[in-house]
Amino acid sequence: MTVSVVPLGWFIALSAVLFFIACAGVLMRRNAVVILMCVELMLNAANLAFIAFSRRYGAADERGSVFVVFIFVIAAAEVAVGLAIVLAAYKNRPTVDVDEVRVLKG
Amino acid sequence: MSFDVFHGVLFGVLALAIVAGALAVVLMPRITQSALFMAFTFLCVAGMFVLLGAETMAAFQVLIYVGAITVLILYGVMFTPQRTGHALFQTQTPWAAIFVAGLTLPAVVFAFSFRDAPLIREFGGDLVPLGTSLFGEYAFAFEIASVLLLAAMVGAIVLVKRDED
Repeated sequence: MTVSVVPLGWFIALSAVLFFIACAGVLMRRNAVVILMCVELMLNAANLAFIAFSRRYGAADERGSVFVVFIFVIAAAEVAVGLAIVLAAYKNRPTVDVDEVRVLKG
Repeated sequence: MSFDVFHGVLFGVLALAIVAGALAVVLMPRITQSALFMAFTFLCVAGMFVLLGAETMAAFQVLIYVGAITVLILYGVMFTPQRTGHALFQTQTPWAAIFVAGLTLPAVVFAFSFRDAPLIREFGGDLVPLGTSLFGEYAFAFEIASVLLLAAMVGAIVLVKRDED
């Protein structure tokens, strides 16, 4: 009756690989805007895992997808506030390199 | 049948595109290229949602991530300087690369340890169960999320307009 599809483990493995690539980007890049992009990619990797689990394990009411909707909302809020902080820091000192923004450092 | 070849091929192509796009976001020297590859990766993840049978989430993904967030980040790219010939990576990059590479392999091995389960519903989309959950059981959280968006909007405006008063 049901067509066998791609096994769940492949989706979770892809989600993990995407998460850690983006994590490497957050840890490695200097530019604050690229760091924001990588954070969005990490959230998207979590979304992929949520939906994969929701489609295979979840009850009939799709709770995993509800979580993903809230992650969408929080990602939009996060990128708006994050970009505002980057632009405010850029107005303060003309750089967007996270290495050079160290006003708060003691 | 054991394994649908069409689904397998589609998954392979999309997975390769996602990994390549994410690597391009991390490694591309120009920020605009990173932003465009990020949009490409988001599109491929939306394709993955369709492959999982979550068409509504794929539509939201295209609307919010590929549409709104990419445009917002491109605005951020336009407002900040692009210095070429400047060191791309931070000083702790080798340690970060070793750390991440050491974590990836156990995570991937762990990912394959999940017991496989059949799809709940074969076809028919996820719109009706999603809407029923979101506006029934999670209606209060939904309203709180709208307050969060309002707070983020006000906060962003205050942060950017701060020194005009």
